[in-house]
Amino acid sequence: MLGQILISGITAGAVYALVALGFVVLHRGTRVVHFGLGDQMTMSAYLVVIAQVFFDAPFAVAILISLVVSAGFGIAIERGVMRPLRRAPLLVMVIATLAIGAALREGLRASMGPLPWPIPFLMTPAPFSVGNLVLVPANLAVVGIALAVMGGLFLTLRYTRFGRAIVAVYENPTGAAIVGISVPGVHARLWGLSSVLAAVAGILVAPLITLSPDMGTIGIKGFAAAILGGFNSLPGAIAGGILLGIAETAAGVYVSTAMKDIISYALLIACVLLLPQGLFGKAEARKV
Amino acid sequence: MIVRLLLLALAAALAVLPFVASSHLIFLVAMIGSTSIMVAGLTIVVGFAGQISIAQASFAAIGAYGTAQIASMAGLPHWIGLPAISLITAAVGYLFGLLSLRVADHYLALATMALCAIVQLLLIHLEDWTGGAVGLAVPPLEIGSRVMTRPVELYAVIMPCAGLTIWFLHALSTSRIGRAFAALRMSEVAAAAVGIPVLHYKSTAFALSAFFGAFGGGLFALLTTYLDPAQFGILESVRLIAIAVIGGVLNPFGPVIGSAVFVLLPETMGALGRYMSLVFSLLLLVFVVVSPQGIAGLSARFRGLR
Repeated sequence: MLGQILISGITAGAVYALVALGFVVLHRGTRVVHFGLGDQMTMSAYLVVIAQVFFDAPFAVAILISLVVSAGFGIAIERGVMRPLRRAPLLVMVIATLAIGAALREGLRASMGPLPWPIPFLMTPAPFSVGNLVLVPANLAVVGIALAVMGGLFLTLRYTRFGRAIVAVYENPTGAAIVGISVPGVHARLWGLSSVLAAVAGILVAPLITLSPDMGTIGIKGFAAAILGGFNSLPGAIAGGILLGIAETAAGVYVSTAMKDIISYALLIACVLLLPQGLFGKAEARKV
Repeated sequence: MIVRLLLLALAAALAVLPFVASSHLIFLVAMIGSTSIMVAGLTIVVGFAGQISIAQASFAAIGAYGTAQIASMAGLPHWIGLPAISLITAAVGYLFGLLSLRVADHYLALATMALCAIVQLLLIHLEDWTGGAVGLAVPPLEIGSRVMTRPVELYAVIMPCAGLTIWFLHALSTSRIGRAFAALRMSEVAAAAVGIPVLHYKSTAFALSAFFGAFGGGLFALLTTYLDPAQFGILESVRLIAIAVIGGVLNPFGPVIGSAVFVLLPETMGALGRYMSLVFSLLLLVFVVVSPQGIAGLSARFRGLR
């Protein structure tokens, strides 16, 4: 039983970890928390469906299209909304990202209808058993791809010019600007990167739950994971995601499925109120 | 002087309206009234005190469901139940404000967002208390032996409440508490430095927002006569924020202006019906980016921060 909970929990957790990474990658560089990221997950999954159904694209091409459009969308948000608002108070930015999320959700509801759309699994959902554990290939694919994407992210940040410029801006924006790194350019990259992370998470999770305009609510789980991880640490975001996935699955088994979501939201509130620096993050000095 | 004349004209028009207008128009104006009471709470907490709250829909939900269930379960009349549940919700809001001492900005946004999600899930899952996903019928307002269900009768109850709310917003903005809120909005640290008890005023702002949210929600329940948990989610909170922002969060008349736009626009643009929510979300975005004057005091908050 415990093994089964761990396996299901890690599947959900891998997705939460990707979304949490999307939040943290963006927030560390830009100080913006993107409240529409969950709805961008929905958008990317819908893009796959749209490419497949309306343009007859093969699955792999459809995914590629979705990732590219999502990255472009993120950069467009930076250029069109966040750059004009860069001197605005945080409250205004929060409202702007909320508005982006609501616009995406309502746009999808109006154009694609409120009913769920089918989206293909990455691998067969037919379970097989190893010993007394039941494994689902579709879920294993989710975990595998999430791990690969995370590994790719860390390699990019560590070894490429693209990634090292991002790390430089994380450490010290002024210093980065002095040595010739374009900080607005890095911000645009971060928006693109975080949108792609959300897109991957959205495409992975959509077949496992239902793809409807309201799927973006799952973004709150990504928030909870990011907060558990301290909101400024990338490994923390991953650990927070996995932890949340396992805690939630355990709650579903031992308490009740109806209470599952309530528990993870309550965890979020408790963590914000009692442990704002998270389990892995460093406490940050507040600027006056 | 001109403002006062305009106000007098508006009051006169609202007093005459029930005798001349169709019952549908009266219903719509009553809807503007109850929505603007809900939004007034948001104006206090977001506009006056500069704190973000994505929980206004849940305060409205507590008010609406509370009003319905106090009447049908405890058998108390609405004129006791509605103020009672509003005061209880205000206490909840005060407690939430106390807890939020350590968090600000986007952490506060996250916490209120999670609270909103929890309340909606509870509305769906606590079926014995809330009717579950199917919804809940609201018992009609009775005063004496008279059952008030016609729009014009509810109009007569709601509009004076809305008028009082606007007057309260105006009085608050020029009062000692209102000035403390303004100091809080500019800079919490500076406010604390000049001796303003930050925690108390933050909690007061949340208590007031909860009170008006619940009161407006209760009136909304009486007006629509049926409650559906889908009406009280995060999207509804965002919609209420949009109304407040588009109306102007530092203006006592902001909630009324915003509510009028949001209630009347879908009525006049029937063909766009399906896309209305999209239009409002984009409108909010455009207002925030292109016309920050709609939220004029917020730029002052930024200058205070520098």
